Amino acid sequence: MSDLRIPIGIFFALVGLLVGITGLAAGYRAPLEFANVDLYCGISMLVFGGVMLWLARRSS
Amino acid sequence: MKLAPVDYLILSLYFAFVLGIGWLVKRKVSTSEDFLTSGRSVPVWITSLAFIAANLGAQEVIGMCASGAKYGIMTAHFYWIGAVPAMLFVGVFMMPFYYGSRARSVPEYLKLRFDEKTRALNAITFAVMTIFSSGISMYALGLLFELVLGWSFTASVLLSAAIVLVYTFLGGLTSAIYNEVLQFFLIVLGFAPLAMLAVHKAGGWTGMASRLPPVMTHTWKYVGDASQNPMGVEAFGLVAGLGFVLSFGYWCTDFLVVQRAMAADSMSSARRTPLIAAFPKMVMPFIVIVPGIAALALSHMALGYSIPAKAGGGLDYDQTLTTLMAQFYPSGMLGVGLTALMASFMSGMAGNVTAFNTVWTYDLYQGHINRHAPDAHYLMVGRVTTAVGVGLSIATAYLASHFNNIMDFLQLVFGFVNAPLFATFLLGMFWVRATGHGAFSGLLAGTTAAAATHGLTVAENKGGWLGSVLHTFPSTMAQNFWIAIFAWSACFLVTILVSLASQPKPASELHNLVYGLTDIPHDAHLPWYKRPVPLAVIVIIALIVLNLIFW
Repeated sequence: MSDLRIPIGIFFALVGLLVGITGLAAGYRAPLEFANVDLYCGISMLVFGGVMLWLARRSS
Repeated sequence: MKLAPVDYLILSLYFAFVLGIGWLVKRKVSTSEDFLTSGRSVPVWITSLAFIAANLGAQEVIGMCASGAKYGIMTAHFYWIGAVPAMLFVGVFMMPFYYGSRARSVPEYLKLRFDEKTRALNAITFAVMTIFSSGISMYALGLLFELVLGWSFTASVLLSAAIVLVYTFLGGLTSAIYNEVLQFFLIVLGFAPLAMLAVHKAGGWTGMASRLPPVMTHTWKYVGDASQNPMGVEAFGLVAGLGFVLSFGYWCTDFLVVQRAMAADSMSSARRTPLIAAFPKMVMPFIVIVPGIAALALSHMALGYSIPAKAGGGLDYDQTLTTLMAQFYPSGMLGVGLTALMASFMSGMAGNVTAFNTVWTYDLYQGHINRHAPDAHYLMVGRVTTAVGVGLSIATAYLASHFNNIMDFLQLVFGFVNAPLFATFLLGMFWVRATGHGAFSGLLAGTTAAAATHGLTVAENKGGWLGSVLHTFPSTMAQNFWIAIFAWSACFLVTILVSLASQPKPASELHNLVYGLTDIPHDAHLPWYKRPVPLAVIVIIALIVLNLIFW
């Protein structure tokens, strides 16, 4: 495998998308937390995955 | 706790990726060293994160959160005077000998430095212990998933073990290490939001401090007297027992973690592995311990949340983490949190399995059973051992579920064997005169001293089996720290005395094994951020600041 950052980046981008879309579409709420946790965490993971992919692309 | 389809989807996606990484790495494996030692080819950022992740098993994550709720921020001593200083020591002072000796394992270093019997003693106890701890953590995970999700114990144990088996079987150590990096990020991204949400809900650090007894939010203020803090330890036992003997014994001699640094692509990378790892390790308490403290504060706030009670009375602190997830994560992040828990379990188990197969193949099989086979044979043995190791772990998990007392007893015995180890390595690496007879008898003396200390003292009704009780400790934790101190001292003294009375190895055989006969790598030409000592100094300054902030 050339660069471990690629599978890690893809994984978190996918999970971020899944969780973020769940936050937008389903709007689940936790018992003690009324913010849209899924949306914010999904965006964070998507950004993290994107940064990993960008770093891998930059160094290749 | 009820999961939605999206949660299962995330868990499946994770399984697919760990197996996929194992599949991609498979091509790199053509010799036994590729499989068991990664052929010393892994970049430093990867070995560093794997160095922490291999230790960050499910028991660590669940246990640290539980200890946070039980003992408060004092638990951070396990990181701030325990793990991190020891990691600096192994990187700056010990790695030149581990990596420079070209040993393939920690027991093999002992063989090169001392003799065959010292290696055999270390290899056998280590092999048994890794299987044992991977079985115990499998048992803990199966139990937890049964409790919170209603999954069958057998199904979750077998499924997770099967996945670990497939990816370590395919790609060996490289596959385990690469996956540990993915697992590390998943653990951080899966648990950090929980810590933030729980702390925020509890009113921030000041809000938590105002709701809890002051001892829960201070690390040092109450350790002057063992009766003043919930751990029941005093400063000397804490610093010498935990900070020196136990932490250095684990982080500097345990092949499970040292193996990650030894897989690095150069001496410089090997030395920097634990030093770079020290940075994230330092802030792990905010992710794994602080949520536990927040949970205790939340349970005082009439929100309807409380840490579950145990059937036999008292609180079941081990459920702190999962109950917090149920309170703060909606479906979606709940899946990520559970996947992170699964990831922590797998990284711990793969760490044990890959250390076990190397020690079995090189130190026990090649060292004692079949010395002169072609390399392809040892690659095959390594692969078979991986499967056997997973099988034995599963067997241990079932043993644990039926005979809990045996497990407690074994854990105690292994503690005795482990406690003196650091004295052996310290003398071996820094005193040319230390001999194989000295090291071996020192280890036996240290183990005996540990057992004797346990037999002659009592804490929480444990110990005292030698008849007369010389001392009563306020807690088993204090007792453990003092057992370690006595074991280390006995090993240190006996190794020195027996070494002086026995024949040393000639200097020609000790090249790259001992201080004084080893070329310590010169790194003056490297930029400062690639040199071990400046990195270590930055970590020390940060550690002092952390200890002062949470004093």
